[in-house]
Amino acid sequence: MINQIETLYQDTDYDLYFGPAHPGSGNFGVKLKIDGEIVTNARADPGYLHRGFEKLMEYRTPIQNAVISDRLCVLEPLNWNLIHAEAVDELMGIDIPERAKYIRVIMAELSRIQSHIIWFGVFSKGTGFDTGFKIAFGYRDYILDLFELITGGRVYPAGYICPGGVRRDFPNSAKDKILKVLEKIDEMIRLEKLENPALKARAKGVGILGLKEALRLGATGPVLRASGMKTDVRKDDTYEIYDRFDFNIPVREEGDCYARYLIGIDEMIESIKIIKQALNEIPKGEVIVSSLKKPKLSVKIPSGEVYIRNEVARGEAGIYMVSDGSDKPYRVKVRGPDFLHMIPVLEYLLRGTQIADVPAVYWSLNICPADMDR
Amino acid sequence: MIKKETELLDEIKSKYKLEGKIQKERRICISITKNNLIAILKELKNLGFIHLSSISVTDWLDEGNYEITYHLWSYDDKILFTVKTKISRDKPEIQSVTPIWEENAQIHERELHELFGVNFKNNTDLSPLFLEDWDGPPPFRKDFNWREYVKENYYDINNKRETVYYD
Amino acid sequence: MKIGILPKIFKNLFSKPMTVRFPHESIPIPDGYRGEHLYDIYKCISCGLCSKICPNRAIEMIELSEEYKVKYPKKYPKIDLGKCCFCGLCDDICPKDSLKLTKNVFLSTFDSSSVIKNPIPKNK
Repeated sequence: MINQIETLYQDTDYDLYFGPAHPGSGNFGVKLKIDGEIVTNARADPGYLHRGFEKLMEYRTPIQNAVISDRLCVLEPLNWNLIHAEAVDELMGIDIPERAKYIRVIMAELSRIQSHIIWFGVFSKGTGFDTGFKIAFGYRDYILDLFELITGGRVYPAGYICPGGVRRDFPNSAKDKILKVLEKIDEMIRLEKLENPALKARAKGVGILGLKEALRLGATGPVLRASGMKTDVRKDDTYEIYDRFDFNIPVREEGDCYARYLIGIDEMIESIKIIKQALNEIPKGEVIVSSLKKPKLSVKIPSGEVYIRNEVARGEAGIYMVSDGSDKPYRVKVRGPDFLHMIPVLEYLLRGTQIADVPAVYWSLNICPADMDR
Repeated sequence: MIKKETELLDEIKSKYKLEGKIQKERRICISITKNNLIAILKELKNLGFIHLSSISVTDWLDEGNYEITYHLWSYDDKILFTVKTKISRDKPEIQSVTPIWEENAQIHERELHELFGVNFKNNTDLSPLFLEDWDGPPPFRKDFNWREYVKENYYDINNKRETVYYD
Repeated sequence: MKIGILPKIFKNLFSKPMTVRFPHESIPIPDGYRGEHLYDIYKCISCGLCSKICPNRAIEMIELSEEYKVKYPKKYPKIDLGKCCFCGLCDDICPKDSLKLTKNVFLSTFDSSSVIKNPIPKNK
């Protein structure tokens, strides 16, 4: 009996389920096999938020699809509204008015700033810097008040960017309020640069992703830019009117968690530049094509197929839409950036690290489980 | 930069017999038979198309076949190349592309095996991804009507809030 | 020790915190917010368009009870707030402006029978 207890004490491997209903992990679970302090194997367990979006969209018309497309990823709803509206516009061959193009870019960049603020907040909380979490969610409320004034809802804008333009025009006081909110965001970025030494010690040199590995595993967006590749869909494969604005692309070479955190802050500064240039040049006029001003019960989509690529806050997104001439799409395929970041890249990075580094690696990849499961 | 797209398309056309066209700036599309799929994709990866953006399956119920689409992107030339091929619907099988694009392709094929029932030969990991304990037909096929399935198994006509689904 | 942080400490010591103490203080809700529905039966023509465009099938056209059937013989919309996603498509498509969205957002309740809104309220 004493021999049995002694042999059990020498066995040091065990399993740990870093689970789905836990405040430290979001809506996603990872099964870890641990030996002492080192993680030897990691296996992702998706499917907690699977709603079958691709087939749900085959039962509804384009204007009804625009209303539910902001639930594809809750943390950046206006960017997904934009990519769905672009796919339907190109299939129907519509040319949208000039004022609507500028409004679409302003709303998409505001949504990108709001998503990066959440990234900064939860990354600080995961590594122990609690003040950063409170600063981030306090300043995010100013942007949500702007959304409430313009679109009619704080988190879900209910298809504000719809096929043919946008659903409502800006109210008269919107332009001054946007400039005031951008000053407050500048103040927040200056506060973020006073760093905590504990955050630096936990994030530097941890979770290094080299350039060759990143290209083989399919990473895109800020994760690829932190490993040394200078690429951005807004400049390489331009869509909407991004070629009229002047902005830079931040790149870093190291590839660890600290480099990804710094790229998030630099991208917010570039988005503020784009919004200020767009507010100076916006013309007057209509905001939606006149044949789609009142929603209709059925509008025919000509047959054809199209593949649209966009840069959302988390990486490269894609929609492949096929239509056979009726009023509902025949097949919609959604490619989310988190499908590649959460399963191959996370399993590669977690192998060989210590248990105490798991939250720092996990939150630095900017994951959103709704985008992966769809 | 239409010159670069025509150079690439002529180079592929000269080696294999196939039909293709340039849709607009930065978009090329070709459609091939499934025999020389692996040879053409390997050639495209050597020409610079190192990023596989997505793999997708469309179910054409009237014609009786599945159409598989590969979207490839090149970071140097900045061009998107689309490759399409058709396989039969009753016994869908095709060679996997994991020897060329490794883990990036493996996760896309695992999702399509679960939702459409396509068997990818040479793929080492085809276990279920989203669904647990499901033993019915593959859910995304066109002959599986979701509204009828849910109405038979879960709704009740005597419930006051569910009478709207029965007209 | 970092000297540069002292002016910031003084400024934060004497400024108001960012929290809004709801329900004692509150921020005003702007116009155009999408809240609860308001239905006017005198303008309605029973076309049924609001029921056909709803993406979640939350509106059902029903006949009224015996005492009102003489004056209102056609079918009128019954709204289920539990299924509604407050998108505003029924407001945009109505041809006679009889269904509108108001600014009322305080809809939580312990009474589950108040979730379904009938066309004519009971205490009329």
